[in-house]
Amino acid sequence: MYRIRFHGRGGQGMITASRILGSAFFLEGYEVQDAPRYGAERRGAPIFAYVRADDQPIYERGVIAQPDLVVVADDSLIPVPAAGVLAGVDDHTVLLINSDESIETWKQRLNLCCKVFTLPAQAEERAELRFMGATCTGAAARLLGAVSRDNLARAIRDELAEMADAIVEKNLAMALDAYDRMQQYAGSVTTKTQTGAGDYRKPAWIDLPFEDARISAPDIHASANSTEVRTGLWRTLRPVIDYERCNQCWWVCSTFCPDGAIKVIERTPEIDYDHCKGCMVCVVQCPPHAIEAVPEQTAQLQDAEQGASS
Amino acid sequence: MAEQSVSIYRSMKDLPSTHLLGTGTPMCAGCGGLEALNQLYDIIGEKSVFVNAAGCMTLLSVYPFTPFRGSWLYTAMASAPAGAQGVRDALDILIQKKRMNPDDDMQVVVLTGDGSAYGMGLSATSAAMERELNFLYICYDNEGYGNTGQQFSAATPHGAKTATSTGSAGYPGYKKDLFAIWAAHKPAYVATIVGAEPVDLARKIEKAMSMKGPRMLIALSPCPTGWDFDPKETVAIGKLAVKTGVWPLKEYVDGQVQHTKVPRERRPVEDYLELQGRYRHLFEPEKNVRLISEIQKRVDDYWSNVED
Repeated sequence: MYRIRFHGRGGQGMITASRILGSAFFLEGYEVQDAPRYGAERRGAPIFAYVRADDQPIYERGVIAQPDLVVVADDSLIPVPAAGVLAGVDDHTVLLINSDESIETWKQRLNLCCKVFTLPAQAEERAELRFMGATCTGAAARLLGAVSRDNLARAIRDELAEMADAIVEKNLAMALDAYDRMQQYAGSVTTKTQTGAGDYRKPAWIDLPFEDARISAPDIHASANSTEVRTGLWRTLRPVIDYERCNQCWWVCSTFCPDGAIKVIERTPEIDYDHCKGCMVCVVQCPPHAIEAVPEQTAQLQDAEQGASS
Repeated sequence: MAEQSVSIYRSMKDLPSTHLLGTGTPMCAGCGGLEALNQLYDIIGEKSVFVNAAGCMTLLSVYPFTPFRGSWLYTAMASAPAGAQGVRDALDILIQKKRMNPDDDMQVVVLTGDGSAYGMGLSATSAAMERELNFLYICYDNEGYGNTGQQFSAATPHGAKTATSTGSAGYPGYKKDLFAIWAAHKPAYVATIVGAEPVDLARKIEKAMSMKGPRMLIALSPCPTGWDFDPKETVAIGKLAVKTGVWPLKEYVDGQVQHTKVPRERRPVEDYLELQGRYRHLFEPEKNVRLISEIQKRVDDYWSNVED
């Protein structure tokens, strides 16, 4: 059985990507299971999708703990613990990362012995991000070696049937291009027999007694502790204030910020990067255009360089 | 005529520069509803109990985290006004029995989306107004069931594409006039607001806070995910909703409806529609002139009846 796990951010089209791959497998005659998993979080937050494909009925359910192929649409998710990108990855797993950095860099950085492939196709424009899913599916299909080019194209047309023709064509072009680029690595993904239910050994559970409702009810006895959640990790673009151009009006960026992530101290605005989700409303609304949108990766590299030199 | 009170919010400069509501909430980047909530929470303050019907914003307080500084309670989709009645009664009884200092009294605020306000919860809301329940009702209206993937609701505008209205003409129905339905109950106050007009919003919340009885507000909430636009356009789209006349800013007090911001020269509705993916089928592959002019006509007809 093939077990494929997709990682992306809400809005990057990874749920659609998994559906396309599932449909393509189905067209090849496989039994298929395809399920997305969302948390309580939204566009920009880590999301997961799982595809299982087998030539026999699939009785396995739930999340894929030991994947054969892991597809990562956004390499900034890899260091995010909540995204769990590397969970259950072993030597047989194939990792496909949408990243401009080299395969060697990722292998060293993550201390991995498994096969790693990269798709150097980082979208420059946020509007292009929605096509990333198609690129990932195309490459994944070829790495699996179990899906023909025709069935990939058919799956895309089926799954995107409701979209405008131009969008479908763009997705097709992106997916097929990625499929062709991975030609020499076709069939790199191998499957692994996993422990069956019969051999399952129960972990050493700890039994917790039921508590009184007054104790066990999920009451929150704290004030505004949502600040513990670092939604800044959702960001793909970072708003950066040019303080020389800021005319210290203070109320515009701070008032319009949907997240209340800009506070003003003595007429000087300060963006809380731990929580800014990168919507860029402030960039558009700032009257003197003193806020610039910088790709988060670039901004992080600059931070690292400054940190190293100081 | 009601006595005209003087607002402390004369311009943007009078608005708060730091915010009470906690950051780190799970709302989408660029959420127009969260933007409005941030602005109004600064004015309502922490001495409040939010009674939240199921919807996007029930995700604000997901155990063990909350952005609120006061209290918050989760109810089923149709029951928030009933929940508010229980909370109001409990507070009143505590004060009456001298178990609570009247200075510690809290504002009871219902917070629901349009699915609940325009549809499932309308009956309970009607009953709460009938009983003259002393509460604030805030509806964040993103014109569809956004939390489950933007299926149409009774607030979906004519022609918009939703997950359940995918044809070439979009949603065939018409947005329900909730403002008029609420005003017909003759509550203390009804108003429409939008986060893109923060001074107007602040004045209305300030006014509502100074009153007793049912005070009802509808906040148009541009929704990047459900309306399909780049999150950075949230404020621009909110402003255009007002400038095109699609979202009239108005209030109802003492049997009178007043428009608080009348667009002098209304921009064509196209300017508002074409920024949003949910209306893309009106422009591509070819322009649906008939449907666009129908939408324009309904807006024009509305304003031709407005005396100002």
